[in-house]
Amino acid sequence: IYPLYQLGNPQLRIFRPNWFLTLVRPGKEQPPDTVQFRIPMEMTKYDVKNYLEKIYNVPVGDIRTRIQYGSNKKRNHLNQRVKQPDYKVAYVQLAQGQTFTFPNIFPEKDRAPAEGSLEEMQEKFMEDEKQRQKLDPRRGGVTEWFGL
Amino acid sequence: MAASSAAGRVLTLCRQLQNVCRISSTSHFVNVTKGQNPVYRGMSPLVSLSWCSSLGQCRALHTTTSRRGLEEFFDHPNNWGETNVKSGAPWSAKQLRAKSSEDLHKLWYVLLKEKNMLLTIEQEAKRQRVQMPSPERIRKIERSMFRLETVVSERETALRLLQTGQTKGRPGAWRRNTFGYVYWYRFKEYAIPWYMNRRYKRKKFYTPKFVQPYIRLRIEKYIREKARKENLKKKAQAKLKERFPDMKVSSS
Repeated sequence: IYPLYQLGNPQLRIFRPNWFLTLVRPGKEQPPDTVQFRIPMEMTKYDVKNYLEKIYNVPVGDIRTRIQYGSNKKRNHLNQRVKQPDYKVAYVQLAQGQTFTFPNIFPEKDRAPAEGSLEEMQEKFMEDEKQRQKLDPRRGGVTEWFGL
Repeated sequence: MAASSAAGRVLTLCRQLQNVCRISSTSHFVNVTKGQNPVYRGMSPLVSLSWCSSLGQCRALHTTTSRRGLEEFFDHPNNWGETNVKSGAPWSAKQLRAKSSEDLHKLWYVLLKEKNMLLTIEQEAKRQRVQMPSPERIRKIERSMFRLETVVSERETALRLLQTGQTKGRPGAWRRNTFGYVYWYRFKEYAIPWYMNRRYKRKKFYTPKFVQPYIRLRIEKYIREKARKENLKKKAQAKLKERFPDMKVSSS
């Protein structure tokens, strides 16, 4: 689908690229300057380098890619094998001595629901329900199975 | 507010301006061919900076070179840990048709970065076994990008029609394959002519005579299915008519 390249042809430029990179947390311990991406299968190392440099203005040093095989082992309720999609992983090392640590995007936030709102009523209702389910505290943790 | 409308609808005001500032400085280096207007190149960052300082709502432009690019893969730190993140409506084709090609080009990259950010959040949520905040944002962005693509292709076909008289950018032809189907075969670029291409010569663009009985069987099957569907419809209508004699018959 790309025009053929022969010596002397102009540089191929892609306007409005349709490729999306996903930054992932590394499963194994990586050096501090390495960032791990999941990229579409059609992208190459040079594509990733240009993508990050031009669109994100990130200086890129070394890039290594590999293809992760998605398992075909699991079976559904009809005993047919279900294929998990394959994907390409890129390990990008940043130039100029920069480091990157994957941040914690889901920190625990103490959420006090606003007064008179739906969330507050729902939480109150849930708490009441839980209280009703609990046994009589005077029984001291003994279950209802025991008579008296 | 031209700046905010040029940027994605999905972003908040501050982020819009911040992104426009960033993108207008980076988009110049993206796919800039030699024929670009140098006047525009000098103008846009100045204009965006003056918007930034005049409104005073957005954060000051920081100029550190550390991870500024990679921070764009994540949401604003205020939104980390929220369960719901507010976002606007997707771009409609009507709104996109009103924009200039420059604006559409910039918008594409805004949407692209936003989608990358959402995909990273989605993957991280799966990793941490936590629900992703507002997953409908991804669908909105996908639709916006699809509509942008259609608008741009409309403009390209119009230009091509005016300049060359061709509707399609890639040449092709109607051809018949070995199974008797006629389909639009799109040409591919090769370095050698077709009579020297062995793999191309093995491909048959005609239907051999022994395939004719199977084509006939296929036609019979198709006709049978059609007749069955018609029959079913008629029977259903007759049954309804019997039960409700005053019913108005719907003409299909």
